[in-house]
Amino acid sequence: MKTPLRAIISFIGPSIILLMIFMLIPIVVSLIISFTDFDVYAIYDWGKASFIGFENYVNLMHDPLFWRALLNTLYALVVAMPLTVVLSLSFAALINREATHFKNFFKVSFYLPSITNTVAIAIVWAWMFNPDYGLINWFLGFFGIQGPNWLGDPLWAMPSVIMLVVWKAVGYNVILFTAGLQNIPDYLYEAAELDGASRFQQFLHVTIPSLRPTIFFVTVMTVIGYLQLFEEPYMLTAGGPLNATLSIVLYLYRQGFEFFKLGYASSIAFVLFLMIFALTFIQMRARRLEV
Amino acid sequence: MRKALVVLSVVMLMVSLNFGATTITVWGMGEAKGLKQVTELFMEEYPEYEVDFQAIPWSNAYEKILTSIAGRQVPDVAQMGTTWMAPFGSMGAFEDLAPYIENSEVVKPENFFEGAWESGIVIGKQFGIPWHVDVRAMFYRTDLLTQVGYDHAPQTWDELYDAVKKLHENGSRYGISLYQPQDNYQIFFPFVWQNGGDIFDSEGNVIVDQPEFVEALEYYTKFFTEGLTPISGSGNIFQDFASGDTPIYFSGPWMINMTREQTPQIDGKWDVALMPEKKSKTSFMGGSNLVIFRDSKNKEVAWKFIEFASRPENQLLAYQITNELPAVRQAWKDPLLQADPMIATFGEQLNDAKAPVNVPEFHEIAAAIDNMVQQTIYARKTPEQAAQDLKKEIEKILK
Repeated sequence: MKTPLRAIISFIGPSIILLMIFMLIPIVVSLIISFTDFDVYAIYDWGKASFIGFENYVNLMHDPLFWRALLNTLYALVVAMPLTVVLSLSFAALINREATHFKNFFKVSFYLPSITNTVAIAIVWAWMFNPDYGLINWFLGFFGIQGPNWLGDPLWAMPSVIMLVVWKAVGYNVILFTAGLQNIPDYLYEAAELDGASRFQQFLHVTIPSLRPTIFFVTVMTVIGYLQLFEEPYMLTAGGPLNATLSIVLYLYRQGFEFFKLGYASSIAFVLFLMIFALTFIQMRARRLEV
Repeated sequence: MRKALVVLSVVMLMVSLNFGATTITVWGMGEAKGLKQVTELFMEEYPEYEVDFQAIPWSNAYEKILTSIAGRQVPDVAQMGTTWMAPFGSMGAFEDLAPYIENSEVVKPENFFEGAWESGIVIGKQFGIPWHVDVRAMFYRTDLLTQVGYDHAPQTWDELYDAVKKLHENGSRYGISLYQPQDNYQIFFPFVWQNGGDIFDSEGNVIVDQPEFVEALEYYTKFFTEGLTPISGSGNIFQDFASGDTPIYFSGPWMINMTREQTPQIDGKWDVALMPEKKSKTSFMGGSNLVIFRDSKNKEVAWKFIEFASRPENQLLAYQITNELPAVRQAWKDPLLQADPMIATFGEQLNDAKAPVNVPEFHEIAAAIDNMVQQTIYARKTPEQAAQDLKKEIEKILK
């Protein structure tokens, strides 16, 4: 049966229109602006912006702060992404065990950071990171460890930010993994047990393969999320000290909304867009090869 | 039925256009209770006008103004942070107020503090009329300073350094608080002004490599390299002040009431003093201005509102409600402000205070200064090196 065009339009039309207004058009406009010298004077009078070709992109390639921001972001991504996946998968497996008590309590406590306002979280964590009377260094003190000046030390600032973002991201992914785990049929485990597989072997050969789609989804989403790292360094360190926590989006924000160099900021946004696009594409390719 | 509705709505529209009061929109920033009260009094005095008042939190205000300008949905009058005057002003979003001031009885330059009045001037045009001012002064613990032999607040650079060192030796974990991760130039730059330095000279040349600037940077850096001040700003200023960890810091008048409320245990053990002196005691002046947007349709009414807000009695009213310091000199003669010696100190400091330069690139320059200060306090660069690099950086920003 052929579906009439009218039905197609009335069903997907509204979402297409919304997608156009809030996704496609802004991306295209941002791409166009990235080829102009749109700055503070042009906001009021668009005629004052002129096309300058690839100049923004060329400048970007020669901008040491952009490279610094890129490296910082990749650093955060490379450390935080596997941590998030491993931690949330382990916690989900623990919660899913029949022997675990207080499951709901743990589910709630893992999920709570995900729904708490980042600004409030950042204020509390700034306290915990305080080198003189923060909770973390106080705790380390019990073991005779003199904790570092977490946010004030250029070496430790990014690890501090990573600790916060991982802690915040785990809960959401625990929920996804728990859902995935519950979809694995029991007979697979029963069969494995009959074949004499240990608990760990069961995890390795039954759980992980069955969870592939979930793991794929979680990694793609966390990669995208960490590439867009912004609020935490913005609140905790303002990109400092010595630009150690300057992320790409924080740099973009500064150029666009503090310095009003919207043309330049758009070129950063587009580079980030291409990076996310490329990484997602590679991940999808890798998944297809696997299957 | 439908016809009747159309007719009715058209009639209502005409009525509201012809007989309704002229409405202006006013945006107040932060709690804005004071300005809100003023709008209500304004409507009492001018019943023919209606004021639609909206309070916007400071944290959202910057982006909200930006989007409103880009989308041409601006209010008639808005309260504007002094460091925001330059970017929005140079966009051409504000109305030049010079012709209005010329014919005004109330709003005259000499009625306002000089630094505050100048903060309203961008690219040579008067875009803003000062609404409230805030200025930084020195908060210090009288009891702890007495212990190290100071029966007065440190009054010069040498005394400040000496006192901080002695406080540190006397058991304070640090001695002074000098650093904040965001907008650190507000703390650092007064030292440059006190030493006679600045970002630009009168001809617009960048002069941050001059000895005055370098010396100020050296002095400031010394507190960090000698461990006299915490290098990360994530502490709680009230607790640090009460515990004696940082018995001295610089901040604005809002801290007076907050300290009284949050740390009653040190009541009577602290006071406020003028900035330390080198060549001058210059402090950082912030605050806010009232502006009229160029796209406003009721500029005459908007101006009447600004004139109304500039009356000393209305400035005092706002002070009573929110503790925002009045920008009008006349208001400071009122016993209300003179009765509190701490507030009076802030009043005295206002006579020697500077607002940051109003160039559109100010935020970028401020970020460059922040970055350079970090380079020196983390001992990555010497003050001379940092100052020279900063000069190149600022020249690059201005092209």
